[in-house]
Amino acid sequence: MVQFQFLDWFWVVLFLMVTVGLGVAFYRLGKRSESDFFLAGRGLPWWLPASSVYATHTATDTPIWVTGVVYKYGIAGLWYTFFAAWCAISAFVSTRIFRRSLAYTQAEWNTIRFHGLGAEMLRGWISGWQVFMNMFILGWVGIAMGKVCNYLFGWELWIGLVLFSSLCAIYVLAAGYWGVIMADFQQGIIAFLMIIIVSVWGIMAAGGPSMIAEKLTSMGQAWRMNPFAFTGWFEGDFPVAWFITMMIIAVIGGFGMGTSIDWYVEAQRIQSAKSVRDASYSIWWGTALVLTRNSVWAAAILAFYVISPNIPTQAEYELGWFKLGFEYLPVGLIGFFFAALIAIHVSTIASHLNLGAMYFTRDLYLHYFKPTASEKELVWVGRIATLILLLGSFFYGLMMEDITSWLIFALWLMAAGIWLPNILQVVWWRFNAWGYLSAWIANLGLSWLVVWILPHWGVIPPLPDYQQFWLLMLLGALIFIPVTLLTKHEPMEHLVKYYVQARPIGWWGPVKREAQKLGLLTHVELKNGGAK
Amino acid sequence: MGFIKRNWKPWEADEWRKEDWIAIILSPLCYILLMVGTVLSILLNIWGFILLALGVFLTWLMHWVIDPKLKMISSEYEKKQHDYLEELERNARWEEING
Repeated sequence: MVQFQFLDWFWVVLFLMVTVGLGVAFYRLGKRSESDFFLAGRGLPWWLPASSVYATHTATDTPIWVTGVVYKYGIAGLWYTFFAAWCAISAFVSTRIFRRSLAYTQAEWNTIRFHGLGAEMLRGWISGWQVFMNMFILGWVGIAMGKVCNYLFGWELWIGLVLFSSLCAIYVLAAGYWGVIMADFQQGIIAFLMIIIVSVWGIMAAGGPSMIAEKLTSMGQAWRMNPFAFTGWFEGDFPVAWFITMMIIAVIGGFGMGTSIDWYVEAQRIQSAKSVRDASYSIWWGTALVLTRNSVWAAAILAFYVISPNIPTQAEYELGWFKLGFEYLPVGLIGFFFAALIAIHVSTIASHLNLGAMYFTRDLYLHYFKPTASEKELVWVGRIATLILLLGSFFYGLMMEDITSWLIFALWLMAAGIWLPNILQVVWWRFNAWGYLSAWIANLGLSWLVVWILPHWGVIPPLPDYQQFWLLMLLGALIFIPVTLLTKHEPMEHLVKYYVQARPIGWWGPVKREAQKLGLLTHVELKNGGAK
Repeated sequence: MGFIKRNWKPWEADEWRKEDWIAIILSPLCYILLMVGTVLSILLNIWGFILLALGVFLTWLMHWVIDPKLKMISSEYEKKQHDYLEELERNARWEEING
């Protein structure tokens, strides 16, 4: 347990007052319309959503996770965090396409890209799944805060979970996304500053950068400073084959939408940017900050390794970065560090509260229950949905110990088999709603087979996760490609409308030619001397 | 630099051109260089400074290549955005389907 002095508590209380007050200050803007409550009126300069991308993806469990992989694999463990690099290509491809669609959510985008019953089924499914997922993430992140408070003060787990999520909900309920984005900006700055301070403090506690290198070499652990220290091409638990798979998933995934679970959060930031350019830069720079922050963490974790090598249990070494802060910072700064942890925590909580509420309000309530709802009513539904998500997250958080492994499996199966369909829906005009739906359904069954059932009965050996990915992708394609080709493409009129507005990349030749024939791309016609 | 187009007409900017592909290739490289360069620089490794400097340069180059195109796409698109938003609302409220 850590002993707080007056100055420590002063920082914590001051921070809470500023962050809640700043969020609530935007109450009047948030209540103006649905667009304000969920997208801040679509008028933000790039650096505001960029700071939100950074703040949202700096959660209480992020330093625990990064510490775990870097302590185990050295700085090569940073590649585990490189999944965030889907934004590299997305910033200039799928972000641009999605921003031009103007869809509030990925579920709504489905009815713009696809048509008819299939599109509506997709919208219903994705929105329901996203409401659930946001509640789950809120519980997951919330209970991590419960654990941090338990480690620091000996509090019961539920206290840390309920207290800080509830404080955060005050400004989300009041000002919606305006509150989220404004609080994220100041929380992002505080969190980044503190990450630098704690990490530098930790590095100096280990004797400084040169001493860390010297000590690692004398311990026979110099490989920890090599970012490409793999365990072989296919051997060991960190092979090159895993690295190549990760690079493909992350980088090529940027051509698609939904190839990463983070896409759904970023989609909201993309639509809140005031222009296509602002949307692109917000995603690119927010992620650049995430990746360089991970680098700062990694250097600090090497310092922690030098100070405390050979910790046998993962649960213990995962808390390494927190220990650097709480055990080495002086009185006063410890309170500031805890305030930064609260900032890290509530920025993620706020984003997911508002995002889940948006799916509920826009895609379920407005589109399916009450299409005649007024703007005022939608803002109130958004607030009620926020409250329901908050209460649901307490429920999930408290039962998280039992269900985490199941839900991580659920996350994994959502990612693996639909990675390729998520790209095809953007780049291939012929891919239709039925192909995409069949991919989701097939993936549900195939994941169980490949991950658990077939290995259990000895039909196939237990496969490492990167091999499961390729197998699931191949088996899924054997289903969704025939389904796509055996069913009709979306009506050409619908595709042309989408093409003219969103200008997607990839194989859209027939749709483009139809748009030219209809005179909707007149400049191209003039340049080419007439439509082909 | 004639190879890189810096003045765009609206219809040209809407097309996917080589400048987009240059950004698509440079962007992941920038992330790799910035991430690896930062951690190695903190550890005072000489390769870290080299990689970080290269990452910063490529980041500048990428923006230099793509920014004029993005500006043109944005300014042209914002002119049509109001109409598109009205259509989006009609779709969400089933007005188009119900006539």
